[in-house]
Amino acid sequence: MNEWLVAGLALLAGLVPCGVAVVRCDVVSRLVALELAGTVDTLILLMLAQGYGRVVYVDLALTLALLSFAGGLVFARFLERHG
Amino acid sequence: MSVPVVLSAALLAVGVLAVLLSCVGVLLLPDAFDKLHYAAPANTIGPVALALAIVVRAGFDQAGVKALVVAAVLVSTNSALTHATARAAYVRTHGGWRVDPASPGPEGGRDGRPAGEVAGQTAEEEPE
Repeated sequence: MNEWLVAGLALLAGLVPCGVAVVRCDVVSRLVALELAGTVDTLILLMLAQGYGRVVYVDLALTLALLSFAGGLVFARFLERHG
Repeated sequence: MSVPVVLSAALLAVGVLAVLLSCVGVLLLPDAFDKLHYAAPANTIGPVALALAIVVRAGFDQAGVKALVVAAVLVSTNSALTHATARAAYVRTHGGWRVDPASPGPEGGRDGRPAGEVAGQTAEEEPE
């Protein structure tokens, strides 16, 4: 248990407010919370890769960063068209 | 404790705190536009601080450079994502991208949406 894993655990706690916001708020606020959760997930993967000393797994964080960006754009376009 | 260890721990604390406070802010603020403001520090301060923590500890090897790339991706895509989300929120609450004729925005009617009565109003006011 090094400091990277502690940081990853602390970041994991940040997913709880995002989850509550996804469940309870209006539609666009849910999208905002989902995008923020994607960012937090990316950082958690970064911390886990560093904490376990597996540099290759940073690619996972990079992939998630790009895919959550694309997913956020798709959701935004969808919400814009279908009121 | 050596200087890089303390520095990377401090950067870790800054990044984690920024992200956690952003999450709490997104939960507490009432409006989607207000929430969008709190998504920004989690996408800029957080990744940059955490990537710098990795670079300070590991140097510019594969891990440091990859972490910097991840931070760069998050920071650079944040603006486009924020704009797209705010645009969706605005379109949903105002019924269109360009409602107020006095404020010139992007041309209405993108991807087949008719400019509609909004463009009609602006066309009538233009001869003045």
